[in-house]
Amino acid sequence: MVNPLHQHAAHLTRRQLFGRTAVGVGAAALGTLLNKSLPAAVGQPTNHGGLPGLPHFAPKAKRVIYLFQNGAPTHVDLFDYKPKLAEWHGKQIPDSVVGGKRFSTMTGGQTLRPVLKEITQFRQHGESGAWVSSFLPKTAAISDDLCFIRSMHTEAVNHAPAITFLLTGSEMAGRPSMGAWMTYGLGSSSENLPAFVVMTSRDKEASCGQIFYDFYWGSGFLASKYQGVKFRGSGDPVLYLSNPNGVSRETRRGILDDIAQLNELNLQDFGDPEIATRIAQYEMAYQMQASVPELTDLASEPKSVLERYGPDVQRRGSFAYNCLMARRLAERGVQFIQLMHAGWDQHNNLNTQLKIQCQDTDAPSAALVRDLKERGMLDDTLVIWGGEFGRTPFLQGKIEDTQRWGRDHHPYTFSIWMAGGGIQPGKTYGASDEFGFNAVEDRVHVHDLQATVLHLLGIDHQRLTYRFQGRDFRLTDVFGRVLNDIIV
Amino acid sequence: MKVNGGLLQWAITFMLIGPPARLPNSSIAMPVSPANSVFLFSTARLLLCLACLGFAPQLVFAAEPVDFSRDIRPLLSNKCFQCHGPDESSREADLRLDVKASVFTVSEEGAAVVPGRPEESALIMRVASDDEDIVMPPADSNLSLTSEEISLLKRWVSEGAKWSEHWSFVAPVKPQLPTLKQAATDQANWPRNAIDAFVLARLEKHKLHPSPPATKEQLIRRVTLDLTGLPPTLQEVDAFLEDASPTAYEKLVDRLLSSPSYGERWCWDWLDAARYADSSGYQGDPERTMWPWRDWVIDALNADMPYDQFTIEQLAGDLLPQATHEQILATGFNRNHMQNGEGGRIAEETRVENVFDRLETTGAVWLGLTLNCCRCHDHKFDPVLQREYYQMYDFFNQTSENGGGRGGQISPVVETPTAAEQARIAATKKRAATLAANLEAFETKKFATAESGPTAAESGPTASSKNSELPESLKKSIREIKPQRRDKKALEEAAAFFQEKDDAYVKLLQQLLAANSARASAARSVTKVMVMDQLAKPRESFILTKGAYDKHGEKVPAGVPASLPPLAVKSGANRLHFAQWLMTPEHPLTARVTVNRFWQSFFGVGLVKTAEDFGSQGEAPSHPLLLDWLAVEFHQSGWDVKALHKLIVCSATYRQSSKVGAALLQQDPNNRLLARGPRHRLPSWMIRDQALALSGLQPNQIGGAPMRPYQPPGIWEEATFGKKKYVQDHGAKLYRRTIYIFWRRIVGPTMIFDNAARQTCTVKAVRTNTPLHALATLNDITYVEAARVMAEHLLQSPADPTQRLENAFRSVTARRPTPVELKILLHRLKTLKQHYLAHPEAVKELLAVGESSRDEQLDPVEHAAWTGICSLLLNLDETISKQ
Repeated sequence: MVNPLHQHAAHLTRRQLFGRTAVGVGAAALGTLLNKSLPAAVGQPTNHGGLPGLPHFAPKAKRVIYLFQNGAPTHVDLFDYKPKLAEWHGKQIPDSVVGGKRFSTMTGGQTLRPVLKEITQFRQHGESGAWVSSFLPKTAAISDDLCFIRSMHTEAVNHAPAITFLLTGSEMAGRPSMGAWMTYGLGSSSENLPAFVVMTSRDKEASCGQIFYDFYWGSGFLASKYQGVKFRGSGDPVLYLSNPNGVSRETRRGILDDIAQLNELNLQDFGDPEIATRIAQYEMAYQMQASVPELTDLASEPKSVLERYGPDVQRRGSFAYNCLMARRLAERGVQFIQLMHAGWDQHNNLNTQLKIQCQDTDAPSAALVRDLKERGMLDDTLVIWGGEFGRTPFLQGKIEDTQRWGRDHHPYTFSIWMAGGGIQPGKTYGASDEFGFNAVEDRVHVHDLQATVLHLLGIDHQRLTYRFQGRDFRLTDVFGRVLNDIIV
Repeated sequence: MKVNGGLLQWAITFMLIGPPARLPNSSIAMPVSPANSVFLFSTARLLLCLACLGFAPQLVFAAEPVDFSRDIRPLLSNKCFQCHGPDESSREADLRLDVKASVFTVSEEGAAVVPGRPEESALIMRVASDDEDIVMPPADSNLSLTSEEISLLKRWVSEGAKWSEHWSFVAPVKPQLPTLKQAATDQANWPRNAIDAFVLARLEKHKLHPSPPATKEQLIRRVTLDLTGLPPTLQEVDAFLEDASPTAYEKLVDRLLSSPSYGERWCWDWLDAARYADSSGYQGDPERTMWPWRDWVIDALNADMPYDQFTIEQLAGDLLPQATHEQILATGFNRNHMQNGEGGRIAEETRVENVFDRLETTGAVWLGLTLNCCRCHDHKFDPVLQREYYQMYDFFNQTSENGGGRGGQISPVVETPTAAEQARIAATKKRAATLAANLEAFETKKFATAESGPTAAESGPTASSKNSELPESLKKSIREIKPQRRDKKALEEAAAFFQEKDDAYVKLLQQLLAANSARASAARSVTKVMVMDQLAKPRESFILTKGAYDKHGEKVPAGVPASLPPLAVKSGANRLHFAQWLMTPEHPLTARVTVNRFWQSFFGVGLVKTAEDFGSQGEAPSHPLLLDWLAVEFHQSGWDVKALHKLIVCSATYRQSSKVGAALLQQDPNNRLLARGPRHRLPSWMIRDQALALSGLQPNQIGGAPMRPYQPPGIWEEATFGKKKYVQDHGAKLYRRTIYIFWRRIVGPTMIFDNAARQTCTVKAVRTNTPLHALATLNDITYVEAARVMAEHLLQSPADPTQRLENAFRSVTARRPTPVELKILLHRLKTLKQHYLAHPEAVKELLAVGESSRDEQLDPVEHAAWTGICSLLLNLDETISKQ
């Protein structure tokens, strides 16, 4: 049978195919795989499995590490220093500031909205003089490597819609997430690990009840192969990774070789390029079984490095462990690494919980940036740290009940930081008003952030689209402005 | 989202072509040389070009006149409707290109289109202009026309600018069967039925010939999987092979259509569309008990309920005269949506979202339209106005569900007690009755003078109180209300009063109290299914500005889009009228959308590829006449689903071999012309069912509460912060068909991949390939245990290794292995035996996988080696594909 899809295979003679030891047929099929994807995806594939014509221009970042802080870190206590709050502490926040804005139903009905001063101490750090809270000493110490954005704003007031909005561009579940768009557009550069990996963690006391919905890393209407692969905090890091009891790696190898040979015979007979894909798919599964354990084996990490990440680094499923893993994934070519850490939702435990959150996350986040920098990887790795919105500059609760002080959800301004990947270091961008209530200067909308992330990856956010239900969708909907002011 | 919370996948496309990669800690290298890579790329480009030249619906043959529906409307829709389409708010220059009148109207500036005169047509002038102030689409729209598209528009105008409404909004008329050329009809057994005539006519046009028929072995496996979701047994294969009669295949099809497994197989597709799950989603993800509705679907499919009845009962069964329990149960369809019970939610907002979901699901399943656009504005491409959206919204806006409440049994519900629950109710009722009778007898005796009750002197040895001490209320209840009907308060009052005065009496009272409470609890805890009902006083429906639940615009009455046929009633239409309207013969969408979805299930791709979108942005049908013929045939048959399925699987088109040669693959890579039979990977649920069926572990039981099979530990716990614990089932339940697996909405079953997420309606199947799928079928306990038990059955029957291998191979593929295949397997068997002989610990471990017991008589080394062979066979591409 003369099949152009087989001409590659024909290059390797039958004898070559079957004469190979151990890794023969399956590995050979890896090449065939690319042939296969053609007919199904006409007009799409490039050599990297991404779209033709992408990247649209030279990228500044090759990969993204998103340290997502679920629950919404309080900007006025951590990054956005407002002396006015102490001045007004305990007094009703002026109506002129609040301006009839809506809040979650938890304080929506509250008529008393006394201003609450920051519960931490602020001080300027580094040459850049960035204001950072005393709760985040390690972050403060690297502030000259970071770019703080203090004028983020969003539209949703509840967690799930706001997180979904930030990560997918829509409040409703069902759109592709940022990592899925990136993988769809750019393909992958890792050969034995997924292009898009997700890891989750939560604070030790589980004070925050937010669920990690899998649509936070979903592929929406893109093919499901673009969705993030969750590396789990217990058991096999990747589902079904381990061979069954009683099946050794050698036994598996032999069985896979036979599967490949038998599939190859069927391919000769039926000519369906899908069969070639299957052969490659099984071979890649085998390779992953080796690459994942290598990835998670920390034996080669020097003690000095481990110590930077703090005492939790050896505990699988902790934020510290995930941060170290993020670096190791980045080193192995994974392009979009999404960490999600829940624990920032201090409605009524600001005085007891905020410090714990900061302790859990401060050192690991800073250690990751330092590690990347030392390895020369920070230049082309974009690190983003931030949550889905901010918290109210006014109090949720009663002013006399300090143990139950809290802050409610606040979409009108919040702060994040970014580092590396073409972002200017040692910069503070944008500002909120004197109460830290509204973003007023160089306002950055969620779609602007998304446009900027794609831009750094060499993607024009207006041109990365996908036709679904008759419409050309994109991550930034019909909005988005690239923040050229913060790009190197 | 396609994800399922189950197995997560990623791009296989991440594989780079290029120099071999050496993995750390292993000696594996990929022998793809750079030279080969270059070759691959050139092949790639070649194929790309060929594929573009091959089948594409908008493809125009030079000799053929331009077809407005096929060539022009999609172009206008895609590039012009944004500003010149149905949405009034974004319309520019008061010009519509979706409406005939507007296109041809002569205004002061002339007409957009003057038939036959491209040079006088403003449309042509604008699209062909070099002036960036004049050219359309404008630069800031990010849209542009290619020179081919511009010349296509010119040709269309030159040829007279023929206009027709969008095909899917015009009711189908049963077309004449095409006349076939002699050459093509020479094909053996072609055409077998009307389907083949249309397919063949299309093939003739492309100078293609159908493929030869599939072998009987291929055919029985293909059709058995398609109709029942299970593989044929060896006995079934043998019987079919032996049956040389011309009706052998039809008999086979009839047997499969009447198998109870048929309903289970087809139910799956319906559950994906109906966004069925066993929990509500969102925070807390509370369990729900919608599974009696799922069983209703299985039963309806097995009973071949006509599709109009199937539709009407699910959309409006509660509104049918003297609606039966089953008809009300059917309306669970529109309560399968997610339900947000999060704290801080506004109930009305949730309620409105639920109504949106009901309408949009109904829109996707029956109308094949993407109505969700119209929440906020008129549809950009299709003739559905925002106002009309809210008119249809009104049909689904009249149920008493108010958006409040948590948990999985939010009113309105229908009680659907299981047999066990019914038994418990009966038993508790009986016990309460017995105890009440005992109490009555006791009281009669205790308060002897019946006519005056407890006011009279007490008698009996236990009497220790004086009547006069009895409180009035107690006297009254004992005198006037029989114990059977006395309430909790009265019984408790008596028990308290007689405490330490009459132990025997108190004991009886307490027993009755306990029994009553058990009875109430039994009645309360019966399985409840959320269903639809109708408010007595209708809720008013408004256009919601930008879809915001609290931004009421104009009030609108119930109604349907003007672009579709009118409702049968002029006013006061309700959900039942709407459901009936969907099924009227003149409705242009329902029948087409439905037959297309079925076609998709059999052939992998629908005749309309965009099964979810029949609007002007959807893909035009590959075989428009066939689609129309099938649609009309379907409703003329009395909406007979099994007859439709039989028609499809009995066609010569379906019965073709799926082998493909190079030339055909180039010309039609996706088999849209149907010159070969369908070949694609089975859905993951079917792969699991197949393995369990082959092992013989799968019990033959239809319906019932969902079960929890093997799943890696901690999946639910990790997703819910430990709030939901996965408690795996044991015994036969572990092996039940996949359709009965408990579907937790926020984290779906891990062994299922490439499936609808069951969060919103999904009518289109996706198939991807990632290594994670391979890991699941290689390593999941279910598959390893299936292989172990399959091996056990092989070893239990006397045969030599070659015969055994043949049997094993036949049971998974339905065909005999070739000598080469046998040789490979025999060699593997030998190697495995040697390995396991040397590794007794490994033997022990492998044979202990899974909870089913093992035949201890069997030689463990043999058993382990054969388990390896069976696992190998279960992972062949041929096994996990329909071919």
